[in-house]
Amino acid sequence: MTTSQADFRDRQFLAVIGDEDSVTGLLLAGIGHVTPPPDNQKNFLVVDAKTDNAAIEAAFERFTTERKDIGIVLINQHIADRIRHRIDTYTQAFPTVLEIPSKDHPYDPEKDSVLRRVRRLFGE
Amino acid sequence: MEGLLFNVNNGYIEGIVRGYRNGLLTGTNYTNMTQCETIDDLKLQLGPAYGDFLASLPPNPSTSSLAAKATDKLVSEFRYVRANAVGSLAKFMDYVTYGYMIDNVALLITGTLHERDTRELLERCHPLGWFETMPVLCVATNIEELYNSVLIETPLAPYFKGSLSHQDLDELNIEIVRNTLYKNYLEDFYHFVNSHPDMAGTPTAEVMSELLEFEADRRAINITLNSFGTELSKADRKKLYPNFGRLYPEGTLMLSRADDFEGVRLAVDGVADYKAFFDAAGLGGGPGGPGNMAGGTGSDGRSLEDMFYQKEMEIAKSAFTRQFTYAIVYAWVKLREQEIRNITWIAECIAQNQKERIGNYISVF
Amino acid sequence: MSGAADREAVFPTRQSLGIMKAKLQGAQTGHDLLKRKSEALTKRFREITRRIDEAKRKMGRVMQIASLSLAEVTYAVGGNIGYQIQESARSARFRIRAKQDNVSGVLLPAFESYLTEGNNDFAMTGLGKGGQQVQRCRETYARAVEALVELASLQTAFVILDEVIKVVNRRVNAIEHVIIPRTENTIKYINSELDELDREEFYRLKKVANKKQRDTAADFAEMKKRKEEREDENQAPEQEAQAGPADILAAEEDEDVIF
Repeated sequence: MTTSQADFRDRQFLAVIGDEDSVTGLLLAGIGHVTPPPDNQKNFLVVDAKTDNAAIEAAFERFTTERKDIGIVLINQHIADRIRHRIDTYTQAFPTVLEIPSKDHPYDPEKDSVLRRVRRLFGE
Repeated sequence: MEGLLFNVNNGYIEGIVRGYRNGLLTGTNYTNMTQCETIDDLKLQLGPAYGDFLASLPPNPSTSSLAAKATDKLVSEFRYVRANAVGSLAKFMDYVTYGYMIDNVALLITGTLHERDTRELLERCHPLGWFETMPVLCVATNIEELYNSVLIETPLAPYFKGSLSHQDLDELNIEIVRNTLYKNYLEDFYHFVNSHPDMAGTPTAEVMSELLEFEADRRAINITLNSFGTELSKADRKKLYPNFGRLYPEGTLMLSRADDFEGVRLAVDGVADYKAFFDAAGLGGGPGGPGNMAGGTGSDGRSLEDMFYQKEMEIAKSAFTRQFTYAIVYAWVKLREQEIRNITWIAECIAQNQKERIGNYISVF
Repeated sequence: MSGAADREAVFPTRQSLGIMKAKLQGAQTGHDLLKRKSEALTKRFREITRRIDEAKRKMGRVMQIASLSLAEVTYAVGGNIGYQIQESARSARFRIRAKQDNVSGVLLPAFESYLTEGNNDFAMTGLGKGGQQVQRCRETYARAVEALVELASLQTAFVILDEVIKVVNRRVNAIEHVIIPRTENTIKYINSELDELDREEFYRLKKVANKKQRDTAADFAEMKKRKEEREDENQAPEQEAQAGPADILAAEEDEDVIF
């Protein structure tokens, strides 16, 4: 716990991996951030049918491991499903990974990594 | 007089378009659609009107693909009509597409500004605004090249020339660029219908003037309302108002001076229709106030935009009461667009399980 | 024997017995305290879990409302603004900061959202058409994101608490099932070893005492014999022969009594 305490102070952004509508909506809310040049790193990734899983994983890796300024990673549930093994093995407290519903895929609590852990813990 | 020779060239088109108009969904159709429980039900309801176009959709399609298919139908019908049009009607229909072209060019400008691969953007472009040389624009890697290609390759050149330089594209907000183009486009279109020998003094000029004037006023009012709280200065704002319309010139002048919702209301006081809209919407306090469409708090009141759409549809509907006019093509496109919006809205309400607001569509038939 | 392996390697001395007893005492106190901590954390944990469950379900609804408001924008603008929005994103207006919350000595971080002033990337979006819907949609989404941030805090707390509770429970179990039995075993071992030593010591002492007694008896007999010899130097030697065997018998009888 000691490392994370110093760690999370700088985490002031949210990141999002989602379909176009989710990303647009969240950007409208004002979470979009592009780091100053020359990096020009975005904190969002639009995923469509053409995006391959490797790109999603890479973005997930970048948001959760490499970048130290992200506190919450939002990911559409149907996209999380595509890299489910990564999500399920992700146990760090920071940044928090949150599965969110998308417009065309209603939220299914059964699939959520955290909720499944909850269930498992209480043997429900 | 105009009735004498109209049918020589345009009788077939008029017949087709009137046929299309009769194919528009009616109030009964909408009522049935709002009863649907799933998108599949909705698809079934749309069957008679959209049959072939929806056939390729998977079960329970997303609302966006539904909207895309519905648009496909409009596009294919429009292309058919355009292919059969000759003379001044063909030119008129080109004018109709320029509006979409502006949106597409604005999209390409955005992409070029951010050094994206603009080829990917082509599929995002509105198909009605497609012009043959559009892929050429994607070759441009910087704004200056793009600006030159737009001038050379697109019919939009006159709208750029004189009011926007290539530095402007770089420096101005894309919305200002877009609205400047649109203003020039509306003025040009207005001038076209009122000066072309085939149209001047005919019902076309009459009806189209009404439609375009309404469009001009709506844009002026919207720009004013939406500019509050942004860095858009009053002088810049004034440049975006089209120089015609029922509000022009006094109302427009007052709009340019307006500081708040109240100012806009005063500016439009002279036009009874708009005054009525503002009186109805004014209770809500305008933008940023407790808007009646604010998320989740479904209320039966309608927003200003809704009322503008309603008005536009009514004007478009009444266009069909006139004979021997090109305006029915424009009116039909607008009506069909609204129909697509309605379908999307209803589908969206069904998909998001928000039935209480499903009635927010606009139907005039 | 399993018991032999399950004790600490100590010399069975009284001093280490004392140390072990103190250790047992400590372990028991520690066990009680940790158990109580674990219970407190678990209580909090269950509460958080329940709230997560609720919040996750609520989130579905909140996001639906938000999606609908985006649909409204699409409706009003009459086209897709996604690309333009993505390209005009510059600097985050909606940010989060973390604060801490102390639960039974565990620091739980909680996110707090705030809006930075002055940077509005999308002020002009929908200028000509639908601008009001865009603004409303932004508010709706901002509210939705607030709910998401709250949920994220809960989830972080969940992950951290889960970890902490696991550690605490591991400690409690270690103390309960390993340290305490082992210490008890060690004490038992020391005690038995000490008893054994005691018995050996006792036997040794007995042996020594016995030897002493025998020696004394022998000395006594010697002295007596010498005295008699001196007295009876002149007396008949058969008398001496008689006394000798009788003495030996008596001594044997003595030994019998002892064992």
